[in-house]
Amino acid sequence: MAELLKDNEKVTGSEKTAVNKNREPVKKVRRPLLEIKNITKKYGENVAVDNVDLTIYEGEIFALLGSSGCGKSTLLRMIAGFENPTSGSIILDGEDIIGVPPYKRHLNMMFQSYALFPHMTVAQNIAFGLKQEKLPKKVIEERVNQMLKLVHMEEYVNRKPHQLSGGQRQRVALARSLAKQPKLLLLDEPMGALDKKLREQMRLELVNIIESVGVTCIMVTHDQEEAMTMAERIAIMNRGEFIQVGSPRQIYENPNCCFAAEFIGSVNMFESTLVTSGPEVGSVIRCKDLEHDIHLDIDVDLDDGMEVTVAIRPEKIYLEKTSPVDENGQPLKDNYTTGVVTEIAYMGDISIYHVKLNSGKVVISTLPNVDRFNKGLPTWDDKVFLSWDPESCVTLTF
Amino acid sequence: MQNKTYKINRRQKKLSGWHKYAVIALPYLWMSLFFFVPFLIILKISFAESIDDSVPPYTSLISFDSEDLKLNFSAYLGNYAAIFDDSTYLYSYLKSIKIAFISTLLCLLIGYPMAWAIATSKSSLRNALLMLVIMPSWTSFLIRIYAWMGILKPEGYLNSFLQWLNIIDEPLQLLHTDLAVYIGIVYAYLPFMILPLYTAIVRVDYTIIEAGYDLGCRPAKCFFKLFVPQTYSGIIAGSMLVFIPAVGEYIIPELLGGPGANLIGRTIWDEYFMTRDWPLAAALATIMLLILVVPIVLFYKTQRKEITQGAK
Amino acid sequence: MAEDVKENNAAQAETIVQTVRKYPRCTRSSILKFVFLFFGFMFLYLPIATLIVFSFNESKLVTIWSGFSVKWYFELLSDRQMIDAVLNSLIIAFSSASMSVIIGTLAAIVLVKIGRFKGESMFALFITAPMVLPDVIIGLSMLLLFVAMSNIIGWPEKGMVTIWISMVTLTSAYVTVVVRSRMRELDTSIEEAALDLGAGPIKTFFTIILPSIMPAIVSGWLLAFTLSMDDLVITQFVAGPNSSTLPVLVFSKVRRGLNPEINALATIIVFIVSVCTFVYWLSRVRADRRRKRDMQLALNRKG
Repeated sequence: MAELLKDNEKVTGSEKTAVNKNREPVKKVRRPLLEIKNITKKYGENVAVDNVDLTIYEGEIFALLGSSGCGKSTLLRMIAGFENPTSGSIILDGEDIIGVPPYKRHLNMMFQSYALFPHMTVAQNIAFGLKQEKLPKKVIEERVNQMLKLVHMEEYVNRKPHQLSGGQRQRVALARSLAKQPKLLLLDEPMGALDKKLREQMRLELVNIIESVGVTCIMVTHDQEEAMTMAERIAIMNRGEFIQVGSPRQIYENPNCCFAAEFIGSVNMFESTLVTSGPEVGSVIRCKDLEHDIHLDIDVDLDDGMEVTVAIRPEKIYLEKTSPVDENGQPLKDNYTTGVVTEIAYMGDISIYHVKLNSGKVVISTLPNVDRFNKGLPTWDDKVFLSWDPESCVTLTF
Repeated sequence: MQNKTYKINRRQKKLSGWHKYAVIALPYLWMSLFFFVPFLIILKISFAESIDDSVPPYTSLISFDSEDLKLNFSAYLGNYAAIFDDSTYLYSYLKSIKIAFISTLLCLLIGYPMAWAIATSKSSLRNALLMLVIMPSWTSFLIRIYAWMGILKPEGYLNSFLQWLNIIDEPLQLLHTDLAVYIGIVYAYLPFMILPLYTAIVRVDYTIIEAGYDLGCRPAKCFFKLFVPQTYSGIIAGSMLVFIPAVGEYIIPELLGGPGANLIGRTIWDEYFMTRDWPLAAALATIMLLILVVPIVLFYKTQRKEITQGAK
Repeated sequence: MAEDVKENNAAQAETIVQTVRKYPRCTRSSILKFVFLFFGFMFLYLPIATLIVFSFNESKLVTIWSGFSVKWYFELLSDRQMIDAVLNSLIIAFSSASMSVIIGTLAAIVLVKIGRFKGESMFALFITAPMVLPDVIIGLSMLLLFVAMSNIIGWPEKGMVTIWISMVTLTSAYVTVVVRSRMRELDTSIEEAALDLGAGPIKTFFTIILPSIMPAIVSGWLLAFTLSMDDLVITQFVAGPNSSTLPVLVFSKVRRGLNPEINALATIIVFIVSVCTFVYWLSRVRADRRRKRDMQLALNRKG
């Protein structure tokens, strides 16, 4: 047990990111279902979506993540057909759907407010889309029952929307948008109308239903946790542009810019200068806030003397009261610094440490609480050593 | 209740294509023909000359001269000149504005406390009280004014009551005075003052008043400095809803006012029905419209503001 | 769902109001409130009460009580002229309310659903201006239009048609305002959801939007009905010799002084209006109670 703990302490705080750190997600060969090419949307002078390209593959759950006003909803509404793009094309299953009105597109949307028809019962709501296709009554009835079963709402068939709780409304909305068996399902802030506790519970349930049906899905959300638990791939949007597109792990572990690094999770950013880099020496980066250089094993392949930002996640910064040693027990020459603990926030599973460096900069580090009580870990006003593995550092140029 | 943090989608879906024109057509044509064109006609006739014993009793502005083969256009300014020359017309404009203004003020003085009392009463009671305020205006306007004739007459209920109390010996002349006109206007238009005031007062953010108390502001001062400013939109909307129709009021001065109470609405009516001087009536109406432009614009502005604020 | 948000806001406002009200409980302010309301409603209802009381007076002198009698009611009901006027008024009020509901609803759709178009601000002004303009101006302008029209095309003759047109023009402004405010409250995603599920714009209008704005259309109709029932000034301008409506007739009688028949008429009108109001009120209270019960139902079985 003690061995294990030691190992844990050495690796990192959070197991989630520590395991299989460098494994890429298995790439399946999938058929592209939706292709968005050079799409731009302007409202007068304002550019809501700026020349975006995106391919969605069959069967995947894709999340558009961004703060409000970043253009994610506009993009979704253009796919649904509620907004016309200023330029560009949207190809759904080989067919260009620009100019096709929403009621002729083979995709359905679940609205943020659910938009259930207030004067219709649950069954009528679910049947509405099917009735538009003029299907025989029997088929409609069958499909409605199937959908009710899928979302476990059989006993509420004859209720009206205002007689349902938030979670139930969401399920009806989902059933309604799945009833027509769309090629593509769009979710606009699917959890936006639920309270926090229900939200976490519904996330997995929603994913289960969507996966059991096997429908391709694009969701829009401002909640990074939601995007990471539900989606296979995430696009981070800002000011109408995609910042980074990738799996949750890729985005968290290898952000491609400062915005992406700061947007997902918390991060320590060190503004520094590249001293030298090369295949033999690796990369040496100097930061005025740190007492020792950051020394990477890899060649960052940038010009010497360039300004770079080094990002290190809090859980990848080790906090020790004694000076840090490498695997061989030798004291570290670089990749560490010292500071004083100024704040400890107890979060239950982990504690967040704020450590003030000599330069005055505050570095955040997290430690699992299981360590804190088994071993006398740092407390307020302790002088501590902060160290990190070279591979924990991400070098960013903008 | 759950936390509902989502926003309602306020972006209105716009219609397009032929649907759009189909929908616009009927109301647009109707209102152009029966509302806009009549105003042009009023304007036109106000520049015509009145002639007796002809149908219609005015000259046309455009005449065709068969000898010269020319169209003659003549605008006659005599109607406007007559209005500005004759002090009785100017007097009736001024009197209308004065009476409308004072009645509006009285409505505000009576309506504000009532609106406040309704808005701050129990929510179960509020709708019933509002209904009680509106209900009289669903009954006949004419009959409500008629009721005041019975009350204000020399041998009416009010005089009998005051005599019975021995406050007065001789019946007071109440009917056919300006006072009666004021009472009539206030009585008839009070609901139109109370409703917008109520809407504004119900929306008042009470935490602001509490902050005022907290910072040591006395209740009376709090009321005027913090409470009333939050209800300005209601005050303006209500005042305009009383002032504008009161300026052109005809029935109330006709039934309750004295022979001297020639308000402009009544003057226009008389010019039309009694004197049959249509061009003069049209000119009087045009000037009245010009006078009302300012309050109407003011009213529209507050309404528009209300709508954009409501959408936020 | 928009209603829920409103509900929520209302509930919040309620708690705020209640917390504020906690300290001046049953003190000066509540006495003040009572005084304001008492005198306010006395002012509004006493005149009406006198009308009702003296409609049962036996004497022809309206203001002097001489004994209980219902003879003025019989007199009123046997007054052929009065009955005709009531019928005229009802026909006009019914037909113009129905027409103005169509025009007003279309106008509300134009104002809420159609973005900028040529003459949009003109349109917005036209459609609501009859609401604020003095009746004398509207009446005169309508009349002059009709005179001009009948000179040029020989139509319309002064009478029921001209009254109907004028009333539609006046009341569609009110209907527009009522329906527009309801449409603005609608959660537009409901409409988008219908489009998304394959219903075309026309179908969406009839299956989704129309049922949602129906309450506003109904109250718009009622408002238009009472307004045209009540109008005197505009009607007087445009009415012909044989198209006397109730207000026109009442006005000609009232001008000649007090008349116990009018008191009886007033009592009947007040009675009808209060019965209608009461029924409407009751139905709203019931609907309210039902909604509260439904919400309780939803909360109890959460999941």
